Amino acid sequence: MKNEPLLRFEDASLGYGRRAVLTGVSYEVAQGSFLGILGHNGSGKSTMLKTMLGLLPPLKGRFRARGAGGKPRYGYVPQKEKLDPIYPLTAYEVAAMGSYRSLDLWRRLRGQGPQELVRRCLKQCGALELSAKRYSDLSGGQRQRVLIARALAAEPELLVLDEPLAGIDVTTQGALLKLFEDFKRRQELTILMVSHRVQHEKSLFTHVAWVDEGKVEVGPTDKMLSASHIMRIFEAEL
Amino acid sequence: MTTLLDMLRPSFLLCHAVYGSMVVGFVVPLVGSYFLLRRLVFWGVALPEVSAAGISCAFMLQGLGFTLLAGGESGQKHLAILGSVVFTVAAIVFLAYTEQRGGVPEGRVGSLYALAGALAILFLVWNPGGEAEMLGLLKGEIVTISGHDFRAMLEVFGLVTAAMFVFQREFTLVSYDRDMAVTLGRNVLVWDGLLFLIVGITVSLGVMTAGPLVIFGFLVIPPMAALPWARGMLSFCLLASLVGGFCALGGFYLSFTRDLPLGPVIVCLACAVLLVSSALRKLLRKAGC
Repeated sequence: MKNEPLLRFEDASLGYGRRAVLTGVSYEVAQGSFLGILGHNGSGKSTMLKTMLGLLPPLKGRFRARGAGGKPRYGYVPQKEKLDPIYPLTAYEVAAMGSYRSLDLWRRLRGQGPQELVRRCLKQCGALELSAKRYSDLSGGQRQRVLIARALAAEPELLVLDEPLAGIDVTTQGALLKLFEDFKRRQELTILMVSHRVQHEKSLFTHVAWVDEGKVEVGPTDKMLSASHIMRIFEAEL
Repeated sequence: MTTLLDMLRPSFLLCHAVYGSMVVGFVVPLVGSYFLLRRLVFWGVALPEVSAAGISCAFMLQGLGFTLLAGGESGQKHLAILGSVVFTVAAIVFLAYTEQRGGVPEGRVGSLYALAGALAILFLVWNPGGEAEMLGLLKGEIVTISGHDFRAMLEVFGLVTAAMFVFQREFTLVSYDRDMAVTLGRNVLVWDGLLFLIVGITVSLGVMTAGPLVIFGFLVIPPMAALPWARGMLSFCLLASLVGGFCALGGFYLSFTRDLPLGPVIVCLACAVLLVSSALRKLLRKAGC
């Protein structure tokens, strides 16, 4: 099972309605890998991410996601700006959402919740002391920690991070990168990270997917982030 | 002079009306909280009006000889509830479906509001059975609520309250982060459907008992007053509910003792609470609390 790819695209076209944003997408994401998804704004990174998360079916071709028990367990960290700050949720409540996988009505009515798990995840992300605070009152970095804790509370096989370092101060960026490094070292998680930049993150990636001009090119980090390869991509654009 | 305590005694002539107003005040803001958070406040304006059009339509059909439900006055009320629920749920389905298709959602809600208002009047005019009793139902005559109707309302609103608290996690999750809900394998359509069904039932029954104006007021104003103070969804819902209940009781007292119309008094009191809440929050923020 360990060698089975978690995600597999086979000549897939991805997009909305009848409009294909990406075509001829074919690659696999192996378990335990850390895939960096790079590309400019509007290149189709979000379209690919939505397909991977099961939010958008492929227009053509095949996409298969298979975990240990069928569909993989996702831990999703969206861009923090996507969440409406009008909600008066506490940081704990936001993190606890990760554990809302099933109704579990009987346990709920008996007052048994996932408190232990949620507290552990918040602690792991250095956000336990924020539990009682209103999520919308937190700084960008604190919010990101809570969202990562939320993703961990889903006990994921696949952690999906959508621009997790955007709009965050340098110190917190470093702390989050250390956290991701820790996830990678333990090898229990397969991680996908969408990013604009590669400066700090590249040491984490085992593979990189360049999303550009309607195509996706995937390969090992060394090759995909080599100076010649980057030159080629940017020259093509110029 | 009648005191507040006298009004709460079972011997008080209008005791069912007092408690009925309070139940509406407690329950409607629970549903309204999600209107506010999902930024669907305009739905709160349109849906009570649509519900009123449903009541009017049901009575018009009865007046035209389509005897849908037998049973005299009780049958008439059931028919009104049926008309109200059918219209409200249909409007919710329409709004929810068209919202996913983009365009100008506020324009659609506004048009629906205007259409519902016009239809409510036209159905009334086309009803050969007379207007007087229907006007009462359309405006919401909670003062005349009987013991039997009060108990029926209590049962339905009791179920609504239980559902709002038991499924609070699901309703919050699908409202706050739909993508996350999908990745967790939750069926967002089912949970949205259940939430909107509860909204439809609450608005319909609320309009029947308290009228469109009061229901719109309760859907929006108590949650607005509660929002700055809330820490978490549970505290938000409980605070909004308490504000609604307080305004209903206070409004009833003022209306009874000053001989003023109930609905407008309740709404004005709720707005006063909102003003005090906002001013107090600003003051505390300035003071660094």
